[in-house]
Amino acid sequence: MTGLLVLAVLATLLAGTCFAVLLDRAQPALVAEFFRSRVETEAPDRLNRDLAPAWYLALAAIGLSVVPFAPGLALIDSPAGIVIWGSCEALIVVTVFLHGWAPNAPFPLIGAYRYAALALPVMLPSMFVLIAAALPAQSLSLIAIVDSQREIWNVIRQPLGLPLFLVVALALTLRGPMDYADGADIATGTSAEESGAARATWYLARAAMLVSVSALAATVFLGGPLGPLLPGPVWLWLKTAALMALTAWLGHHVARPPPGRMLTLLWIALLPLSFLHLAISGVLAL
Amino acid sequence: MTDPVTDLVLLLLTGFAVWTGWRVFRVDSMVRASFSLMLSFIAVGAIGLLLSAPYIGIATVFMMAVEMMVMAIFMVMFMMNPAGLNPMMMVHQHGVSIAAGLAAFLGLGAAILLSAPPSDPVPPQAPVVAQLGHELLGPSMLIFETAGVTLLATMVGAVILSSRQGRHGAADEGSRPPGLTAGGAPAGRTPGEEGGPGHHHHHGGHG
Repeated sequence: MTGLLVLAVLATLLAGTCFAVLLDRAQPALVAEFFRSRVETEAPDRLNRDLAPAWYLALAAIGLSVVPFAPGLALIDSPAGIVIWGSCEALIVVTVFLHGWAPNAPFPLIGAYRYAALALPVMLPSMFVLIAAALPAQSLSLIAIVDSQREIWNVIRQPLGLPLFLVVALALTLRGPMDYADGADIATGTSAEESGAARATWYLARAAMLVSVSALAATVFLGGPLGPLLPGPVWLWLKTAALMALTAWLGHHVARPPPGRMLTLLWIALLPLSFLHLAISGVLAL
Repeated sequence: MTDPVTDLVLLLLTGFAVWTGWRVFRVDSMVRASFSLMLSFIAVGAIGLLLSAPYIGIATVFMMAVEMMVMAIFMVMFMMNPAGLNPMMMVHQHGVSIAAGLAAFLGLGAAILLSAPPSDPVPPQAPVVAQLGHELLGPSMLIFETAGVTLLATMVGAVILSSRQGRHGAADEGSRPPGLTAGGAPAGRTPGEEGGPGHHHHHGGHG
């Protein structure tokens, strides 16, 4: 059974990544990119520069492996599954920062610090939203959270949860309004000095992360593998694909405010809103 | 703990935690030091997993990743070498450090050697996360809530102290930079050196 689950996670990640690449408006010439030579910067931190794309990809895989593919069945069946996902989120911020810090060049460094300053306040609503979803289940296990949605999905029971988590999803996949790391306004930021296989891997890792975040959102808010007629994994794939399309659409259609204004928005509006959401969910779950 | 594989993993994690902890003081940049410390704590978190404390182990990884990232942000706000790529010395106050290190090592070593650690294996089916939750929000609630509120007050205080805007105007207006030598005259330009009070507000914010 474990072998089957490993296979399911890898297949989902692979197929989902292809779907995510198709969702993007413009794709880089991926195959050609893999054979292009690398541009060197002066005195880079080689270890982190070479490993950051791999870490990003690995975090996408770990994040996906806590998601239940059928009721009661997840590759990493931990009593604190949602905290594992939270750790992945925090390490994603570190990875994106190191990806921009390592080349030792101005634009990547600006992207790295800008992203760190904006992604950290996003971590707080993320934790509040996920803890709120754990309240009706009375458990931090994602399997229990799926089971708690048999009567009614969290997206209806906790209406603020999914919209708030979509902001987190945009931040973790460096997309649209939350793309402060690799934005075009600073010449693709943390990726500005990157070329060849490393650039292609980073792009693919961003696509894989979209799969992982969407699968988690589908599990926490849309009942994951729950649904009539079709088998569990198919429902999970359908819901994940729908959330991927929604996140990509938001990324394409919502404008990115200046970093200062976004920072104010995150601390003044989003954080109190998520706290209110947690308080309401807590009272309802009593 | 009779399983040899668990013992080997524990040894490897301990070695990794010590090695990355040592690297914190040997590397030449604040970013490298921060994230070496993070790796050290991640290894400790993994040891927590082996000791049947899944929540504490995983939460350690989460907390340390966020904490080290916050440290990097504070670095760019307050340090003279914000990027963290220029070489810098990571150790200072050698005498005090050596004494503190020796005292901590001898004290902890004596504690391990002289005390009898309990042997109380957790049954595999025990709901350890729920038990921890009941402990935190039950008998130990007062301790944890006091610590939490104290930390929050400290953070709010630190932000207020370091913030430029204040009730009595901008923090850098009228403040004196420290002298270049001990007890010497303040460094930088003195107020009224150029223009006079009439022009003062044009320069505000770049002191």
